[in-house]
Parts: sequence; C-alpha cells; structure tokens
Amino acid sequence: MLALIYFIVLAVIALGSALCVLLARHPLYAGLSLVTSMVSLAGIYGLIGSPFMGVVQIMVYAGAIMMLVTFVIMVLNGARDSKTPMFDKVSLFVIPAVLVLAGLVGFALVRSPLAFDATTLRGSVELTSKTLFDMAQTGPGYFLLFEVLGLLLLSAMVAAVLLAKKRLGSIETENTEVKH
Amino acid sequence: MELQPIFIQILALAIFSIGIMVAISRRNIFFLLMGVELALNAVNLSFVGFAKTLPADMSVAGQIVPLFAIAIAAAEACVGFAMVIMIFRNRESIDSDSYSSMKG
Repeated sequence: MLALIYFIVLAVIALGSALCVLLARHPLYAGLSLVTSMVSLAGIYGLIGSPFMGVVQIMVYAGAIMMLVTFVIMVLNGARDSKTPMFDKVSLFVIPAVLVLAGLVGFALVRSPLAFDATTLRGSVELTSKTLFDMAQTGPGYFLLFEVLGLLLLSAMVAAVLLAKKRLGSIETENTEVKH
Repeated sequence: MELQPIFIQILALAIFSIGIMVAISRRNIFFLLMGVELALNAVNLSFVGFAKTLPADMSVAGQIVPLFAIAIAAAEACVGFAMVIMIFRNRESIDSDSYSSMKG
C-alpha cells in the first residue's frame, strides 16, 4: 500500500515534468523539467528494487547528460530566436497519431497477464557487478559488451570534439580570428 | 491494493508517448534531442519493470541491459549536440525546419 502511494506521487511528478518539457517555451526550462522527470524515475527504480539503476540514472542522466544539454543551450544562447512558433501544422497530425499508438499499445498491455515474481532478484551493486564482470566460459559474456561500450564512448567523445571545433585542424585561421 | 507491474508499464508508455511527441512536433532542435532522451528513459523504465516479473535467473538481464542503454544514450547526446553546434555555426538558427539543405 505504501509502495503504491510512493509510486503514484513519483509517477505524477515524472508525468507532469514530462508534459512541462512538451509545453515549455525556453529550452532551459525544458532541461530543468527533464532533470525533475529523471530524478523521479530514479526514485521509481529504487522503489521497484533496482537501486543501482537509480543511482546510475541520477549520475549519468541527470548529472552528465543534462549538464551537456545545459552547456550547449547556454553556448548557443537558445533564447535568441523566441519568434519561431512552438508547434506547426505537422503537430496537428503527429499528436493524435502518437495518442492512438499509445492507446493501442496500452490496450495490449492491459490485456496481458503481468505479475511480480516473488523470486526476482534485487538489482543491487553486488549482483550487477558480479553479472557484468562474469568472465566464466559459461557466463553471459556481458564483459565483452562492456569493453565495446568503452570503445564506443571514446569514439563518440573524439567525434564530438572534432565536430564542435571551430575550424577542422587549422590553427592559423583560429589565430588570425583572435587578432581581428 | 498493491503496486502492480502494469502501472509501471503504463507510466513508461505515457512518458514514451510524450517523448515521441516532443521529438516530432516541437521545432526547436534542443527539444528534439530532449524528447529522444525522454523516450530512452521510458524504455529503460519498461525494461526494469518487465525484469521484475521474471524469475530469478532471468531477471538479471533486465538490470544489465538498461545500463548499456544509458551508455548509448550518453554517446548519442554527445555526438548529437556536437552536430547541433556545427550546424548552428552555418545556419545561425535552431529551428529544425531550416536544416533542409539535404532535401532532394
């Protein structure tokens, strides 16, 4: 009963701030609502027994990714064109289409029999790390994916630095720009 | 009445729909990327919620796969915002409808 009350409170916060993202005018307000939504989702992760996922959600999503979003919004000064309309005519068709899709999937979900399993494991740090770094021959082999993920993040970082640089690989032009 | 797994799935579905709406219907490019983040969040929630309905030996995957999804989302946001910075330098606009020079 108590878990249901906590869930309803967190779900209302998450849904409300997601709606704020849809209706916000300035990107920074939308970013703040997105952080609120992510933090309440982290609360739900803790509630249903995956505390490690909740912590990762707060650290990576609400911390790192949203910091990146806020930086880019401030660098590009997102308030500069407040004259572009929020929605256009395409939205008139998109929003009902998404609602109909959600209705169909929701109908299929409600009809399916779902129940919590009593023997399900709590996603603690110990269980997650043991499974992730299980190097046994018969193990799940998640550690290989983990290594590949490290390479992917490294290449994404290098690509981002190269893309966001002022002029690709020419130091002279940057120096002349400073002089002018 | 106790907490049911269907409530978690319905919440994930609602947040996913809102994320898709933000990503498709808003014109500001920041909202587009934030909508994608919101949809990815909802999918992670759905993963964890479904993992709690499985028996012990199968429910572990539901704790691991969302971690990978979060890392992919971080890489996606990193490259996506770098591209936004690059396009903004050329176009001086954050309206996603003005990024149409690849239109056939």
